[in-house]
Order: sequence, then structure tokens, then C-alpha cells
Amino acid sequence: MLGDVVVGLAIGAAYSLLAVAVVLVYSGTRVLSLAQGEIGAFTLYAGLYSHAHGVFGYRPSIGVVALFAVLAGGVLGLLIERLVMRPLVGRPALDGLVATLAVALCLALTELWFYGLDPLAAPSPVGSGSIKVAGSTLTATEMVLLAVAAAVAGALYLFLTRTKFGLATRATTSDPVVARLLGVRVNRVYVFSWGVAGLLSGVAACLLAPINGSLTPFSLTTALLSALAGAVIGGLDSLWGAILGSLAVGIVSGLIATRFNLTVSAGITFAAVLLTLLIRPQGVFGSARAVA
Amino acid sequence: MRWPEERERPRFFGLVALSAAALLAPLVLNVPQESIITTAMCFALVALGLDVLIGSTGQLSMAHAAFYMIGTFTALGLGSHGVMWPIAFVAAIAASALVATLVGLPSLRIRGLQVAIATLAFQLFAQGFPQTYSQVKSAGRLFERPSWLVSEAHFYYFGVACIVAVLLVLKRLRGTRGGRALLAVREVEARAAAFGVVTGRSKLMAYAISGGIAGLGGALFALQQGSVSDLQPFILEQSLLLVAVVVIGGARSPIGILFAAFLLKGLPGLLGTNGDTPLLGAVSLWLPAILALGLVLSVVLQPTGIGGVLRGLGAALAPKRELLSSRPEDTDPVLAAARARDLRTVPRPLSRRLPVPSLLTAHDVSVRYGGVMALADLTLEVRRSEIVGLIGANGAGKSTFFNAVSGLAPTTGSIRYRDRELVLAPESSRSARGVARTFQDMGLVRGDTVRQNVLLAQHWMADYPVVGGLLALGGSVGTERELRRRADQALELFGLRHLADEVLGSLPYGTMRIAEIAAAVASGPDLLLLDEASAGLTPDEAHALGDRFGALRDELGLTLMVIEHHVPLIAATCDYCYCLESGALIAEGTPAHVTAQPRVIESFLGRGSLQPEGVLT
Repeated sequence: MLGDVVVGLAIGAAYSLLAVAVVLVYSGTRVLSLAQGEIGAFTLYAGLYSHAHGVFGYRPSIGVVALFAVLAGGVLGLLIERLVMRPLVGRPALDGLVATLAVALCLALTELWFYGLDPLAAPSPVGSGSIKVAGSTLTATEMVLLAVAAAVAGALYLFLTRTKFGLATRATTSDPVVARLLGVRVNRVYVFSWGVAGLLSGVAACLLAPINGSLTPFSLTTALLSALAGAVIGGLDSLWGAILGSLAVGIVSGLIATRFNLTVSAGITFAAVLLTLLIRPQGVFGSARAVA
Repeated sequence: MRWPEERERPRFFGLVALSAAALLAPLVLNVPQESIITTAMCFALVALGLDVLIGSTGQLSMAHAAFYMIGTFTALGLGSHGVMWPIAFVAAIAASALVATLVGLPSLRIRGLQVAIATLAFQLFAQGFPQTYSQVKSAGRLFERPSWLVSEAHFYYFGVACIVAVLLVLKRLRGTRGGRALLAVREVEARAAAFGVVTGRSKLMAYAISGGIAGLGGALFALQQGSVSDLQPFILEQSLLLVAVVVIGGARSPIGILFAAFLLKGLPGLLGTNGDTPLLGAVSLWLPAILALGLVLSVVLQPTGIGGVLRGLGAALAPKRELLSSRPEDTDPVLAAARARDLRTVPRPLSRRLPVPSLLTAHDVSVRYGGVMALADLTLEVRRSEIVGLIGANGAGKSTFFNAVSGLAPTTGSIRYRDRELVLAPESSRSARGVARTFQDMGLVRGDTVRQNVLLAQHWMADYPVVGGLLALGGSVGTERELRRRADQALELFGLRHLADEVLGSLPYGTMRIAEIAAAVASGPDLLLLDEASAGLTPDEAHALGDRFGALRDELGLTLMVIEHHVPLIAATCDYCYCLESGALIAEGTPAHVTAQPRVIESFLGRGSLQPEGVLT
């Protein structure tokens, strides 16, 4: 039981990385992004493919692959911001959502095209060691996940509350027009949000794919859904809310899935989202503004 | 059938060509190809269903592949146990509609995109269900086609018939109360209630209709396949592709959506079965990715999709139309009002029509927004058949009082209309009781025609059930005809008849405002609340409007309360006048009396502007 909780916590930590990416984009730009899963998957695909088959005679080690996936994820985030999202500033919220959905589809179908439907083996960048915790196995990847998620959450929290740019980000969240009038370069906030969210997607992909064992198109978008569910339950504009929500989704679905099956756990996640939206639509820790 | 008007012809011929292509296609298709196209039709039906949500309410569902699946397995489960196909179809439609309504429940609480996440969570849950509980697939049993549908070509025509039926229902939806309510909720959600629209019910209805159409697609798929073991058509990816199809096809553009669905699901199969040309095979593999790229481009560059392109083409081909004037025609206000007298005949119980001396009494009405007291202990009275003015500087609380009467502001105190309390009554109940209003910044749907807007304002009078309206059953046809007659009469009254088919947003601001008054009058009120009716009008037009107020009172027996900044208009038309400052009443009486009060002048013009004569001009 306790071991299952710890393993679930590790999965939840991976979800929370994605959820933080979503919250960052949502807070910065008021866009609910569905692309965060596939951004990381896309760059990791490229890395893993060259790891397996080599590009121009060079076969990167798995560590290099991870580094590449993370950095390229950031770059991809920036590209998406500049090419797709920037022209949509000021358009209805639905357009932003559909655009990120389009991006996710585009990336996933491109993966499908290049690499086919066969799962691509995804070895872990941190080795395959493991320890026993209360009867369950906790792999090195899962341990690193927990540490990375905690570090990311702490760093972002300090950044948002202690730095001038963090303040500018929060001002933009609350009202982009007023922030602009006060001298905040709102576009920089947008760029920053998408860039960091892209990096986080890369990190999440590198650590989630090995836990799944392999990478397939849409597999990380499916993981993103759990993260989104967690973010909605915790509050879309609350960093801690989203993290706690994703951790809860990870733990609960882990426990349910081992005792019953995946369908029951997905059903419980759905019911939790439905009830949250009916009882407290802004999420447990969200502010009322997130609802409008 | 009448011959279409000249400017309708490009669209008409386009539709004729499309229908001909659809009907003649089996002549050139082989059996596997027919089957592929029919499967694509099932997908297209689901996309049409999704468009009801996206196009008409602005909500996004990413669970339509799941609703499709529910329709499929419901029909399959019943049909494979020997239930006749029409019953299985109806059950499939009902099951999908029911589940879609459940998934849409959060839309009652929030407007944000979180609702879309609920649909995603449902998709994830639903798609795993038949894998885990494989008994729902009714494996080993067949949903057998009736004898007249065994041939693929016949089934193809059956599919076409289903699509045509859905298209007709959707067209019908636009012309009935349900569709107008949806549009109002989408465009002016907070104000839709002023027309008597119950917003929550409208949204859930959209989910139900949307899911029902997806269910029909599923049933068609079940009957075509006989049994279904592959769950690929129902997964998340398909739900996202459905959104893509609607966006690329163009929201509220069924033809564009059908076209996009064909591109995605029909074309690759057709190219693939021709097999011997590897190039075409490769293209068909690439199509989804091309579609996704098209989706990105479409969102960024062409938000109206293929449908927008087609509409633009139609408009370019149609002869230019000349509009004589976009201003209201000059009509004699008294004669016009006398002619429109039967606008007064409304289906309202006698108890709500009896002449009472005092129509509206407000007692100690306060409205507080956070720390701001927008209205403080206001007490006033509106007597029947009077024109009552409400004046005051900006921010005095005039519109807030209207909002309190309409139930759009958090109000304490008592507002009684015909001696019944309004404060806690649902906001959508006002128009049925006889209170209509206009908004300072227009409460109508700008993207729709003038006539549609006037029809929308009469929402409370259209009391036929939504499904009856969709299928043109019962009294819905007669009711709609009557509403249309009333709408035209109201437009005639305000000299707008020649603009009835124009898109409201394309007209000058002043004309839009008059159209809004016409819509409010069409709803058959006893009490008409007009918020800055003369804004955007020329001085001459404002003066003419004043004459109309008198005619509305004398000929139609209306009581008016008008918020007005144009003091001469108040002086010329009002019987009684209230002046507010910072949420409190500072003067009341005849217009001459009120505008002579030093406090009123000070409130309007500021301290020190008081002339010795004390007259405000």
C-alpha cells in the first residue's frame, strides 16, 4: 500500500511537471495548452531515433539525448509561441485552445509519419537501478522524477515571488493591459512562459517515457490529460494547486489501477473533474478569476 | 419550390451540383469504395454534431469520438439482439445525447475552458471501457441490415439520407427558438436572460443535440459494419481530428465540414484502394498530417475555414446588392403605432395584463459591488401609461437600477412589478411578465440579421418544445409564422422593414439601437426600459424618437422608463422624472421641476456652473 503510494507519487510528479507547464502558459497567456505533452514527445522522438539508428554516423548517448530533448523542447516552445500563438493574442480563448490542439495533432502525426506506429524503446537517462520501498519497486527514474519535480516547483516559486521578472509575470497574469501600461514587456512574459513550459515538457518526456517503457505518438498527450485533470482539480492558475492536484491524480489512479483496472481509475478521474467543476469550478486552490 | 433570388443563386447552384455529385457517385465507385465513403459519412455526422457545440455555443468537446462509440455500441447491442433497426437508432441517439448532457453539466457553472477538460477526461475513461469490459462489444453477434440495405450502394444512399436529414434539422434549428437561444447564449450570454432565455438549459440542450447527432453517426456505423471489434475510430486522436475537421471546415458551415470530413476520411481510402499507384498511397498516408498543418494555418489565418472561403466565393459571384438606406425610414409615428396595435395581443394571462395604477415600485433598493455602493436605498415608482425619465451623471446608478429590475445585479430591497416581487425571481422570467429592456451598449446578436434578433426577443412567446421545433411538429410551424409576422410588424413600426434581412452589425450604430427598441417592443411588454435610446442618433433622429415614445404610450399603451442624457428629449417627452447621484435619489418631479433644482444642475455641470436663473438648458 505505502509502496504503491510512493510509486503513484512518482508518476504524479511527472504529471505535475506537465501541469506546471500548463499553468505557466495559462497564467502567462491565458491559453489552455494541449500541446505540452507532444512537445516533449516530439523532441524525445528525434533524440531516441538517432540514439537507435544514428544520424550522419553519430549515435548520441542517452544522456545527450535527454539534454537535447529538453533544450529542443524549449526551442520548440519558443517557435510555437512566435509562429502560432503570438498572432492569436486578443482572439477568443477557444481559438488558443484549438491552436494548441492543432499543434499537438501536427506533432503527433508527424511522429507517426516518420517513425510509424511501432513503439520506440525509451531507455532511462539515469540508468536502470532500483530500490525496494515497502514492498514496491522504485526505479532510479522515479526517484529522479520526484527530486526534479520538487526542484522545479521550488525554483519556479522562488522565481515568481522573489524576482522582478516574476513580478512582471504575475502582473501580466492578472491583467495584461494594465501590466503593459505599467511598463511590463508583456511579449517577453509570453516568450518566457512558452520557453520554460517547453523545457518542462522535455524534462517530463525524458522521465515519463522510460516509465512507460517506450514512446508512441499521443502517449504523452494521454499523460497530459491526467496532468490537465490534476490542474483543473487543483486550480488552473495556482502553481501549488496544480502540483497537488496532479500528485493526487497520480497516487489515486495508481492505487485504483493496481487494485481494479485502468478504466476504473480513468472513470474516477473523470468523476473528480466533473465534481470539482460543479462544486468549485475554479479548482480547490484556484482564484475565482480563473473561471471567467 | 420558388426560384431562388438572384443573389442566392451561386449558393443554390453549388448545392445542386453537390447533391448531384453525391447521388451519382455510386455510378463510378466500386463496392469497397462505397463502403469507405459510407464510413466517412458516419464520421461526418459526428463532426456535424460537434459543430452544434462549437459553432452555436462556443463550447469545445473533445469527447465526440466517445459519444460516437456510445451510439455505435448501443445500436449494436440492441440490433444484434434482434431489435428492429429504427428502434436501435433512436436508442443510440438517446443514449449519446444523455451522456453528452451529463458531460456538459459543468458548463452550467463556468464559461471557461475547463469544461473542455471534463470532456477530455471523459474521452479517456470511455475509450478504455470496451477494452476492459469487452462484453459491451456484443462480439460474435451481428447487427443485420434490413434486406433493402444489403447492397453497398443502397447503404450509401441511406447514409446520404441520414446526412440530409441532419442538415435539415440543423437548418430548422436556426429558425426555431432553440437555435436562437443558443446563438444568444454564445454572443451575449449575460444578457440572453433578458429575452427570457434560460442559459443553462440552452447549453445542455446544445450538448444533447450534439451528442444525439454523434449517436446517429454511431448507429449508422454499427449498421454498416454489423459488428465492431476495432476501437481505433473511437480514440482520443479521433476526437481531436473531429475538432480539426470542424475548424478547418468552418464552424456553422455544414458544407465546409462535410468537405473537410471527406478529405480526411474519404479521400485517403479512395486513393488507397486504387493501390497500384504508390504515389497516391503515400499522399493518403500524409493526409492527416497535412490536415493538422491545415488546422494550424486555419486557426491562425482563416478562422472561418473552408466554409468562409465558400461564402466569400458565393458573395463574389452574386450580383452586388444596393441598399437604399441603412437608416430607418421616416414614418409617421402615430400612424405607424396605430397600425401596429395588435403587437399588444400577447399570450399573457389576464392577471398580468389588468390595468393597475402603479406598474413598478422600487423600495429601498441597494446594489453593492464589492466596496462600491452602486445604488443606495432607492425608492421610486413608475405609474402606468407614463413616460418616466431617469437622469443623472455617469456612474449615478441609472443602468444599475435597470440591471436590478432585470435581475442582472446583486440586489437587496424590494422591486415589485404589478405587485409581484422581482428581486429573487429568475432573470429569465422578466420578459414573460411584461418587462422588456434595451442595453446601453446593445444587447443583441450583431452577427445575425435584424429579423432574427427581433424573433429572439420574442423567445418567451415561443413555447413549443425544442425537439418538436426541430422536427417541425405540433404548433411550432404556426407559432414561428406568427412570431415572424409580429417581427415584421415591429420593424415596420420603426421604419426598419427594408433592413430586416441585413446583418445587424453591418448597420450604423443609431440604426442598431432603433432595432433593439423594435425587438423590445416586439416582445409585447407593458413596461419598456430604454437605456440611452438616443445615443448614436443625430439631433433630428433623437427628436423623432421622442415622438415615437409618445406614440408607443398613446397607441400601444406602453409604459416607458428611459435613461437619457439628452435633457431636451426628457423635457419634451417625460411625464415624470427622477434624478440620481452616486446611487441615491436627489430629485423627482416633472422634468421642468427637476431640471430647475440647483442640486441637479450641480450634479450635471459641477459646482460653480450654477447660473443665477438656475435653468439648465
